[in-house]
Amino acid sequence: MSTAPSFVGPDRQGLFNFWPRHNEAIYRRLATKHAWLEERHRPPGGDGEPDPLEHEMILNIGPQHPATHGVLRCIVKLDGEVMEKCVLDLGYLHRGLEKVAEHKTYQEFMPYTDRMDYLSPYSNNVAWCLAVEKVAGIEVPERAQWIRMIMCELARISSHLLWLGVGLMDAGAVSVFLWAFKYREEIYNIFDEVCGARFTVSHSRIGGVASDLSPTAIAMIRRFVEEFPRELADWEKIINRNKIWIDRNEGIGVLTAEEAIELGVTGPNLRGSGVDYDIRRFEPYLKYDEVDFNIPIRTEGDSLARYFVRMEEMKESVRIICQCLERLPEGPIRNDNAKLAYPSKEEVYYSMEGMIHDFLYTDVGVCPPKGAHSYHAIEAPKGELGFYIISDGTGKPWRVRIKAPSFSNLQGLEYMMEGAMIGDMVILIGTIDPVMGEADK
Amino acid sequence: MTERSGSDRPKTPEALKFHFTPVDPPRGDEFNPHAKATTYVPDVVEALKARFGDVIEEVELYAGEHTVRVRADYIVDVCRFLKEEQGFNYLADLGGIDRFTDEGRFEVFYNLVSIERRKRIRLKVRVDEENPVVPSVTSVYRAANWNERECYDMFGIRFEGHPDLRRMYMPEDFEYHPLRKEFPLLGIPGSLPLPPQTPGGPLTRDPFARAHGYVPPPGYEEPPADAEVSEH
Repeated sequence: MSTAPSFVGPDRQGLFNFWPRHNEAIYRRLATKHAWLEERHRPPGGDGEPDPLEHEMILNIGPQHPATHGVLRCIVKLDGEVMEKCVLDLGYLHRGLEKVAEHKTYQEFMPYTDRMDYLSPYSNNVAWCLAVEKVAGIEVPERAQWIRMIMCELARISSHLLWLGVGLMDAGAVSVFLWAFKYREEIYNIFDEVCGARFTVSHSRIGGVASDLSPTAIAMIRRFVEEFPRELADWEKIINRNKIWIDRNEGIGVLTAEEAIELGVTGPNLRGSGVDYDIRRFEPYLKYDEVDFNIPIRTEGDSLARYFVRMEEMKESVRIICQCLERLPEGPIRNDNAKLAYPSKEEVYYSMEGMIHDFLYTDVGVCPPKGAHSYHAIEAPKGELGFYIISDGTGKPWRVRIKAPSFSNLQGLEYMMEGAMIGDMVILIGTIDPVMGEADK
Repeated sequence: MTERSGSDRPKTPEALKFHFTPVDPPRGDEFNPHAKATTYVPDVVEALKARFGDVIEEVELYAGEHTVRVRADYIVDVCRFLKEEQGFNYLADLGGIDRFTDEGRFEVFYNLVSIERRKRIRLKVRVDEENPVVPSVTSVYRAANWNERECYDMFGIRFEGHPDLRRMYMPEDFEYHPLRKEFPLLGIPGSLPLPPQTPGGPLTRDPFARAHGYVPPPGYEEPPADAEVSEH
């Protein structure tokens, strides 16, 4: 049998007890946290019988619970069926990406960004590339920007489809999950055709993209944007009038606009509360200032409002993709300066300079000026995803700060859970749409 | 939690290679194709200077982004001023930086957004290694709560007045601050015991043991090399 570690903790008769101080701190926090619900039963002056029926109970949900969408651990104090207090415990998927980034060249770190928000890897690639391009001042050719936009919007649809399917499955409707995954599969096939990988694409490159869209890929995207809106309209006919879905979402997890801003919630969760904060409009990147699209906003701030916002966003994404396909210009897909971006494979295979540049770019890569630091954010499906990069003049970043939208959203979830019913917990986690790979970095 | 004092901490990080420094330091007026109009806020910087004077230590401009470094003890006042009088009501991000210098080693940056004015500004404060304490801005921005916890977890910067300063990602039993530059990439063996790799085996003290040069013993007894193989 394993020996117990030397640090303090309750005696478990020789059984190994993981991280006792950690759990002690969580329960201490749960005991000392102020909850407005407590005052409902116990007026501040009189301290009568605290809990005659012994309704109180502390419940651990997760990190292995399937409804927590990953490895989120919720420690809730229940009063009957009402969650009186909630403490979220993160870090079960913490891989130290910010530390890893300090030991990788800029291009080497890109596959790690795939593993952050693994439901929309392309957005993360683009966010990282744009952040590096900003700190190093690298220009991106037109065609690459349009390609990136198409793929980002496909990634947004793919992420929202997963949210839709899983969210409805949490509420008990399995068929929507199957329909949504059919179209997610089509998006994966498009990614497969474009870059050879279905899930963790790593297709974007610093200064452009890895490969051009083939005619087959463009035809596949065209077919998708033709078919998908019809299908989405069909689903809406069923879901929007489904009494169970409406009843379970209406008035659940209400965040007013002020609360949402105060808690730092981003993305569809913020726009569901009536705040028009979308990075695509706020500080347009790529070509978002040249296409015509709407930012859907609802003012109710409840779970149902967030559902409508995401459904509308999918339609707007389709609109953006259609415009991108129309306006996709001919031209290079990567920056021509081999000091700033990878040379094309033809150059690498058939010219000496190309090979040397390729070698040097892999070894050292792009070197932003010493002391340069900048922040670039994009509107990922989950919200504002930004990278703050500080350079020390070498090929590796001195410090990378990842502003992960799921992390901010989960902070709002802790607030939303307090006062909700335990049965709504699953819906609330679903409506926030957290991805733990991103929240835990 | 036992903190090692500042003097006896090893100063040399494990792998801190400097290949070369090819470019001059940024001057701030270079053209940047990705510069955004939102991050260029000279009027806010002027307002801050007029209101706070020499509390503002440094104003930087790179890639069209204004960074204002203020004295650490005034950060709450500066944030309150920005929130209430300049409309920066949304805290997008907060994090730490390890500059790995003798003086003013740690920095904390605040990424503030004004949704109505469509502006974004970055504040920075600098603290020494000996006593890394920054006043908490949770009284101004509630969103800073988890970010400050993460910063405390990763750098050991303590936030004065924070309602709940626990670690964010690492368990409380962990005694180091991983994003500090002297913390090795592969972790410190034995700092965080993990489950045994075989049933009934010992705890995993070092998940990267092989990278640290450990060769596991062979699982079975190899026959001696000169043993005669039976022909039957």
